[in-house]
Amino acid sequence: MSDVLLQVSNLSKTYKDKNYWFNRKCITALEPLSFDIMAHKTLAIVGETGSGKSTIAKLLVGAELPSTGHIRLNGQSLEPGNFKQRCQHVRMIFQDSGTTLNPSLTIEQLLDEPLQLNTKLNETKRHQLIRETLQKVGLLAEHMSFYPHMFSGGQKQRISLARAIILKPQVIILDEALASLDPSLRSQMINLLLDLQQQMGLAFILISHNLGIVRHFSDEMMVLSKGEVLEFGKTTDILQKPKHKYTKRLIMSQRFQLLHR
Amino acid sequence: MNLIDIRNLSIKLQTSTKPIFAVDRVNLTMKEGEVRGLVGESGSGKSLLAQAIVGVLDEKWQVDADRFHWRGNDLMRLSAEERKAIISKDVAMIFQEPMACLDPTTTIGEQLEEAVDVEQLTGYFWQKRQQRKLAAINLLHKVGIKQHEVCVKSFPHQLTDALCQRVMIAMALARRPMLLIADEPTAAMESTNQGQIFRLLASLNQLKNMSILLISHDLENVTHWTNTITVMYSGQFVEAGTTEQIFNQPYHPYTRALVDSSPKASRMIPNKSRLMTLPGSIPTLQHLPIGCRLGPRCPRAQQKCVHAPKIKNFHSHQVSCHFPLKDNYS
Repeated sequence: MSDVLLQVSNLSKTYKDKNYWFNRKCITALEPLSFDIMAHKTLAIVGETGSGKSTIAKLLVGAELPSTGHIRLNGQSLEPGNFKQRCQHVRMIFQDSGTTLNPSLTIEQLLDEPLQLNTKLNETKRHQLIRETLQKVGLLAEHMSFYPHMFSGGQKQRISLARAIILKPQVIILDEALASLDPSLRSQMINLLLDLQQQMGLAFILISHNLGIVRHFSDEMMVLSKGEVLEFGKTTDILQKPKHKYTKRLIMSQRFQLLHR
Repeated sequence: MNLIDIRNLSIKLQTSTKPIFAVDRVNLTMKEGEVRGLVGESGSGKSLLAQAIVGVLDEKWQVDADRFHWRGNDLMRLSAEERKAIISKDVAMIFQEPMACLDPTTTIGEQLEEAVDVEQLTGYFWQKRQQRKLAAINLLHKVGIKQHEVCVKSFPHQLTDALCQRVMIAMALARRPMLLIADEPTAAMESTNQGQIFRLLASLNQLKNMSILLISHDLENVTHWTNTITVMYSGQFVEAGTTEQIFNQPYHPYTRALVDSSPKASRMIPNKSRLMTLPGSIPTLQHLPIGCRLGPRCPRAQQKCVHAPKIKNFHSHQVSCHFPLKDNYS
């Protein structure tokens, strides 16, 4: 469809234990890995806790510095310290939307912050953009003067989404963003994300352990365990013919629930 | 005989203006040896209902029921002490987030010994102490923890989530209850660990004939493990029946939407297609709609729905809707 949007090559992360001066220990959080994402596509990352899936997310948004490797966006290298460039294009939504929104700011102030820091728009234009973005995620313009505690869980997640898309990014990282929602709100959210992907040509990186959502939502998937990539390929292929023992166990543990129905 | 038989249970919160019915006329019956799923989204009052059964609700909540029987005893007529004696002997409860429910300052062994029933011990106090230790270790074996030496000495933070939940179940088993209420036992757990806990509960049900009330917010998670399911929405009873009835032929529009909205359940739908959803969001307690509380979100709502529907019974498949989807499956 289009060229490679995000190109990750040889990315790895090791933590050094600073307690020992001699004989320093290294903890490997992520073995070197490479992948590409196109626009309009979704990559799902699956794994248990401690498998390094959140480390990937942190490396991609620049919250952590990679030990080795490069991240390229549209062929341009993303420098480790250059947040201005990265904030524009790579955004992230967290698991618990209730605690990631500042409770002392109104929604307008919350959404205004990234605009002030990253763009040179004047106040009326910013106001206009916030209004449009809120409508895009299915909220009303009147919600601008509300505080986060006045919303329900699903609406808060929509606000986080609005905050993510307001800078018109190209990549959005969903770190378990759908896990804590109720089923009926979760499917609303999935529909909304799919619509936005259609409209804006976003690429999603979905970190999840619900294989049902992964199957429905993603084009490619990556199975991680202890920082290593076990399998990487088309979602349908992996879910139908898992090669690795670990993947098989993961699929079995979720699929047995409906096997006999 | 029915283990528990609840008819028209309401839990109400008295506010300055008008009472709020957090749970509005809910029915629940359980037979001995049954695994019943209680499914509802957040704010549906499923945890309140469980707490009302155990009797650990706050003073501010008022519980009314037409019938509230435990193995033939009317619990509403008993005094608080008698009720507590019955319930604490026969009912046990486990909670979500086991890590947070265990005492972080004491070892697992001490906490387990505390839970052991005094009546099971005989002899002098030094003998009792020995028996108590043995009973605690036995309990750990019962829930499938083999290395009891390590486990007994460790603190809750040293164990994984699944192990903590096993310890919680062990504590619940200490008094050999007839009914175990599991309030979202696997929330925020890895899927492989979830399977372990559910398998343990299922084996307890099979081997000891213990009834289990499995509370969950996700229909698809519990379907494999339950015989019967009760669905609640926003404090109201929605539908009850066997798992097959609920999952394959839901009569209520809400249950239909729940089944359709889970991407795992309806495997026929193509990749990246739109999922079926109900519009709007779950109402808060302050702004509950009158009549059927699903009304504003329901695709089949009509004028009649401003009155709360009566429960209709089709071959032990109960549904609370004016316009059930019964004719769709003939």
